[in-house]
Amino acid sequence: MSVDNEKLMAFADGELTGAERAEVEAALEHDEALRARLEAHHHMGARLSSAFDGALIEPVPQRLAEAAQTPRQAEVIDFATRHAAKWSVREWGAMAASVAFGLVVGVGVMQQPQPMLVTADSGLTAGGALTQALDSQLASDTAAAVRIGLSFRNQSGGFCRTFDLTAGGASGVACRSESGWSIPLISGSAGGGEVRTASAPAEILNAVDQMIAGDPMDAEAERAARDAGWR
Amino acid sequence: MTSAAEQTRSDIVAMLPRLRRFARALTGSLADADDIVQIAVERALMRMDQYQQGTRLDSWLFSITRNAWIDEARSRTRRGKVFAPAEAGEQVGYGGEAEVHTKLEADDVWTAMRKLPEDQREAVALVCVEGLAYREAADALGIPIGTLTSRLARGRETLQVMLGGAR
Repeated sequence: MSVDNEKLMAFADGELTGAERAEVEAALEHDEALRARLEAHHHMGARLSSAFDGALIEPVPQRLAEAAQTPRQAEVIDFATRHAAKWSVREWGAMAASVAFGLVVGVGVMQQPQPMLVTADSGLTAGGALTQALDSQLASDTAAAVRIGLSFRNQSGGFCRTFDLTAGGASGVACRSESGWSIPLISGSAGGGEVRTASAPAEILNAVDQMIAGDPMDAEAERAARDAGWR
Repeated sequence: MTSAAEQTRSDIVAMLPRLRRFARALTGSLADADDIVQIAVERALMRMDQYQQGTRLDSWLFSITRNAWIDEARSRTRRGKVFAPAEAGEQVGYGGEAEVHTKLEADDVWTAMRKLPEDQREAVALVCVEGLAYREAADALGIPIGTLTSRLARGRETLQVMLGGAR
């Protein structure tokens, strides 16, 4: 019982180092109840990120982008050098994506709760618990933060999977690439919460129809592809 | 040719998605979140001379956003305006975007976060939602790290109780 709540929390958040960390790791090895408490921490972290990560993929309202572009008194001098041209929304988006990517990569501490959706230069990609689920979870597994739907091969032969985030109400399609799972489509308009049915929203299914080569994989093919690391 | 202030402005624009996420966790309301992000951005630009190049811009902006929310909550109390977050079903029937918003705000996690005491909610939002290290979160809130960890622990325990093992 040497690991109190605050210490376990600090461990789960990647805040412990050296002897303290080793102590918790050792206790975890033989203490099943402690492992369950750690799992609860991770589960809570995943729920929190899936509930709020939508803000990262939604377009930023015009008024906010404008507020950030309007000169203020305190910086009048600096604005002598300012470009005359206004930025387009597309440029803002690209900037947001590249900087967000840098920030996410910077938080690479083990055990740190990771956002499930990450904006990269190449577009939206999976992170944290979503990557984990896409890598290893089967459609038949009990859904935790992520529920896996269909797995299929797209027309260029790559593996793709549909998923639901159980809190926060987003559904999407992820396709395996060299560097991880890219997300060509995500829909934030699904119901969300526990009462959702297992069926993906029509928008996602339509996209699958456009992308799929042949039939969706059955349970056996899904398991084999998972075991082979989606390669 | 990019001046330091112009660079900071670009960085602020790039931070907008994360500021919105933090503000949503903090306010539990989509509309309030965007309002305080707007106030925070305007204040940040006014006070750009107070920002020290090379220090973490995100912590600085989170701190300004959190203060904007505290000010807003106080002024609402002064005006005697009842702060009533959207509850499930309250706005059903508008359809389209409004309905999606209501659903999101009625999500269990959003509801539970709104019920947390303010000091616990801001700790949870910075660490669990934004992924800040304890040191950075404590600095952004202007509190000692021990205070941060105890608020965080209490906040998480309360959330755990409210949300239970249900998924």
